[in-house]
Amino acid sequence: MKFLSSLKSGLFEPERKVTPGELVFFKFFEFFVLLYTIWFSWKWARYIFHRNTEVVLPLGYANYLDVSLFFGNHLPFYMAGILTVLLLCAYFRIGARWFYMVAFFLLQLLHFTRFSQGEIPHSQAFIGISLLCLGIGSVAFGGARSMPRFVMGTLFFFMGLAYTSAFFSKLIGTGIHWADGRHLWLWISEKSVDILSREGTYSLNFIQQAALKSTAFASLLLLFGWITEFFGFTLWWSRFRPYTFTLLIGLHIGIMLSMNIRFDAFLLQFIIVGYPWYRLIDRHLDTTPAFVARTL
Amino acid sequence: MNAQQASKALKILGVLFLVHAILVSTHEGEFWPFSIYPMFSQAGNPWARAMVLDVTDLEESELWVEHVYPLRSDERVVSLRALGVDQIDYSNFVVRTTDWTESRQRALHSMIGAENLKDKKWLVTIVKGELAGEDKVIGKVVPLILLTEDEIRLKQSQLPVHP
Repeated sequence: MKFLSSLKSGLFEPERKVTPGELVFFKFFEFFVLLYTIWFSWKWARYIFHRNTEVVLPLGYANYLDVSLFFGNHLPFYMAGILTVLLLCAYFRIGARWFYMVAFFLLQLLHFTRFSQGEIPHSQAFIGISLLCLGIGSVAFGGARSMPRFVMGTLFFFMGLAYTSAFFSKLIGTGIHWADGRHLWLWISEKSVDILSREGTYSLNFIQQAALKSTAFASLLLLFGWITEFFGFTLWWSRFRPYTFTLLIGLHIGIMLSMNIRFDAFLLQFIIVGYPWYRLIDRHLDTTPAFVARTL
Repeated sequence: MNAQQASKALKILGVLFLVHAILVSTHEGEFWPFSIYPMFSQAGNPWARAMVLDVTDLEESELWVEHVYPLRSDERVVSLRALGVDQIDYSNFVVRTTDWTESRQRALHSMIGAENLKDKKWLVTIVKGELAGEDKVIGKVVPLILLTEDEIRLKQSQLPVHP
């Protein structure tokens, strides 16, 4: 019970008053999610139309629905179109409160259709979770000044869970010797094929060269990342959040430099949600702007 | 947010966590956007990725020869981004396919795009890597399928498939 009480307080901060700065920040965050969702949905629709030909690995709904029915026709574009209209209406609070939820299910369907080709991507996961939080938040707290707290708190919970879960996946999957630097050598060489194949050229950067030269350095890189993942759960408490997000940003920059895997949406989202920007806004704002108050 | 609303939020979060747990536990850890994030969890294993090589100027006898992967640029490698093909998709498609049925071969040809193969001979290869001893990684390039604009030929197969 004590843990749940601490979790409730850490995630939703009921003792802290909702300020105009927090609400303005939230509308900005909502806009960020809206832009990324629209971008992903059209990008996936276009790829499905031009490239998907056969289901290689069914994920999610694709286990129950033959998603190849969306290949080679304009259905994905119609889905992206409907999703865009629903998102815009939801953002401006025009129409029903459940628009965000329908948009979420459409985005999921597009995702499962697009990624039925063998890849299991994670780089869009937090945008998906953000949209889900907005959907549930709109239905359960729509119109209330408490909606942002629910959306952000739930998002922080799943972000923290993701990293701590990744830590334990490695511990269970490999064991305590996961951080052996030679494992990084294997990943560097594996990703080099991906980059070479994608770009047509490839050369090792200075971090990769150093890691390949020294097992100790490679092991330190892995150890830093692994320990950072373990502390993901500290995102559940606001007092640790900026520090943990800073470590996570460092982790993703490290992954980018050592393994050429980019997480643009993750990094941007961490910079946006990781720090109490609302305090800066509150310095210049006494009341909630009319547009923000109207569209909560 | 008052205490009552925070309690309601926590209850909703509890239900959502339960849904998440049920979905990932029944779908091998993945039900987007939920996941147990298992990437890189099994370290030290050999790997296999796919690459396309432009072999237009090579003789038949030179095509199917395995060679060492040099971990650097190779002028024969075709950039998939330039073709508008997602490299990860392509690689997983090739590496995960165990039974190269005619339909699967045609799907690969379609993914690369017949329009890109005009007057060209491209070789679909699998690059395999593993730790060799204590101090190095070795990789080798294994030819798999030859693609031309109007033909698909598996390694050592006498009967080509037409797209």
